[in-house]
Amino acid sequence: MPNDGLWLAACFPMEPTTLTSTGKPFDIHERLLISLPHLTWAVARDVNRTLGGGLASMELLRRTFIANGALDEESNGGLVAVSRLTPGTNVLAYCVALGWRLHRWKGALAALAVASVPASLVVFVLTATVVQFDRHPIVRMALAVGVLVATLLVFSSAWFLLRPYLYVSVFARTAVIVVVSGALLLAGLTPVRILLLSAAVGAMLGGPMPSREDR
Amino acid sequence: MSAFVVYLLLLKAIASSFAGMGSLPQIHEDFVETRHVLSDEQLSQAVLVGRSTPGPVGAYVVAVGYLAAGWPGALAGWLAMITPALAAIPLVVLMQRWLHLPRVRAAVDAVVIASAVLLLSSAFQMAGDGIRQFSIVFTR
Repeated sequence: MPNDGLWLAACFPMEPTTLTSTGKPFDIHERLLISLPHLTWAVARDVNRTLGGGLASMELLRRTFIANGALDEESNGGLVAVSRLTPGTNVLAYCVALGWRLHRWKGALAALAVASVPASLVVFVLTATVVQFDRHPIVRMALAVGVLVATLLVFSSAWFLLRPYLYVSVFARTAVIVVVSGALLLAGLTPVRILLLSAAVGAMLGGPMPSREDR
Repeated sequence: MSAFVVYLLLLKAIASSFAGMGSLPQIHEDFVETRHVLSDEQLSQAVLVGRSTPGPVGAYVVAVGYLAAGWPGALAGWLAMITPALAAIPLVVLMQRWLHLPRVRAAVDAVVIASAVLLLSSAFQMAGDGIRQFSIVFTR
């Protein structure tokens, strides 16, 4: 199914910053259960076959590595939390943390390479192709439609980010942060400053978002 | 624009975001509004190509780099995409010490929510550009 990533992301939303499912810290010193080539192949396969974002890839990786015994649910919760805390693309951070956990530096670098290089090469080739042909009327029509599709995809990205915070029990806190960040945006602040000030507001409001079990 | 500058600008945008598309507002500001290296249409194309490709959503920065500075820019985009991910390693250790603190977790949650707001803002800008482009192409 070409869009199984989107489907998986919709069916298996992940906690934004949950430590583990039981609230216990995860153990980062587990024994090695799979080889480096196996880790590399599994990451390459699971990350590069999903459309729809990192949550879908992480769900596939979770299934793979729990099935082969290299991860348990608590450890995976810890890796997801790390991926959300790390700046940039979540799934790459997840792969680095997973690789480091299983094979330290070799695992982290191998997982990062196989998770990022194939997609980057495809993007590079596609972009170069689009640039070559974007004056052709049919290509321009396709691009005009494509831009509207891309807009919908960005809306969906925003929705997937926001959705875990829209539960009734945390809605007021979410609304305050949305209003504050929206006001800062309208005031013309740069995105970096908006994020920093929003973090400060979040820290002042205090209290973590409740886990799924608490809702 | 040199590939090194592309790398630094993309790294700034990516390192200050917490999702693949979260860097879009900062990239729009730096590449479209401030430096005029890309047009709104080109940035939309980069997003479209990036989102049409299996794999990490953040790979659209490779397209941004390519459109700004050719293949060296694409390489810079890839490097900027993977650099922040390495921060996950110290975070694995630090997280065990700090993330259980409610205020730290609340701050991280707030950053994710604010990222969503910034993305919505970018999406509305893209929608305006997309509708304009659509009407130009299809009314000729």
